[in-house]
Amino acid sequence: MEGDKRFRELIDRSFVEEVSEDERQLIHDHIRDCDGCKRYLELTARTIRGLREFTFTSEADSNARVREILAHHTETMRQHNVQFKAWAAFAVALSMSIVGSALVYQVAKLLTVPMHFDTAQVQAGVLVFWLLPSFCSALRLLAAAAENRGMA
Amino acid sequence: MSALPMTLNTTAETETAKIARGLRERDMELLADLVERYQHRLVRYLLYLTGRREYAEDLAQETWIRVLQRGSQYNGRQRFDPWLFAIARNLAIDYLRKKRKAVAAVSLPNDRDAMLLLPSSDPSPFEAAARSEDAMRLAGRLQILPPLYRESLLLRFQEELSLAEMAQVLGAPTTTVTSRIYRGLAALRFAFEEGDSHGG
Repeated sequence: MEGDKRFRELIDRSFVEEVSEDERQLIHDHIRDCDGCKRYLELTARTIRGLREFTFTSEADSNARVREILAHHTETMRQHNVQFKAWAAFAVALSMSIVGSALVYQVAKLLTVPMHFDTAQVQAGVLVFWLLPSFCSALRLLAAAAENRGMA
Repeated sequence: MSALPMTLNTTAETETAKIARGLRERDMELLADLVERYQHRLVRYLLYLTGRREYAEDLAQETWIRVLQRGSQYNGRQRFDPWLFAIARNLAIDYLRKKRKAVAAVSLPNDRDAMLLLPSSDPSPFEAAARSEDAMRLAGRLQILPPLYRESLLLRFQEELSLAEMAQVLGAPTTTVTSRIYRGLAALRFAFEEGDSHGG
């Protein structure tokens, strides 16, 4: 009985894992004299064969429905991506315009004396030629984001 | 002599690399092709896992959406189908967890797998799919077999995944995987032993 158990484990293994040629020969030799193990092998083979005899049919429009859902999700994700990029660009532009304005103002202040400008002129210059254009650029990016959302 | 296997291997690598690139780029054409090739197998796997047709179809759709969202995580170094089945399995377990809140505590190494131990009591989709007398005899057993064993049998004998690939899908060591296959086989083999002894 103990021997049969060992052979049945080997039979199971021969269907599921790799067994050596020697082990295969061992099974072959054993089942010639052992009806119990021979039947066990036949039933195992029959079970596995039976498992392969199931045919599941998908719903007729299943693939088309999945493709449609995926196309919809792809478009939604693309739009989210575009909006995210626009908002990120706006945030970067806004912070650069604040930091840049502070730097430009400091440089302009240094040039006040050699260029014979007064402070009010420097402030007006920075405002008109730097601060306003940079804010306008940032707002333009924001408008692009809003436009994309409108299209969505 | 070795030229042919080498060529096949190279072709397989190119194929998975192509899929990985397409998923990263969210290439709709590639996704449509993958759906065409794998949807049937995916639904079948989910059917074995859940035992319910309607769950399987819904979960298959969810799986594809997850593939679209997380496609960049597929590295293209292994086959696509085990990766796909692993996603489907995680979704199915989460779904079943929501469906069956009160599950008896079962001592398993992986608590997530406890969700799959309870057999389904719903009408059998397996009987409808049986295409031979032997398959019909197995159908009844399959329905009451714990899904944990059912999925192992499917992955090994229908999907023909290697034990290593199965371990990847099931998130379990290969020893556990083989033990589930043997137990599943033993339960199904009993259908024939029982039937034959009744039949005389």
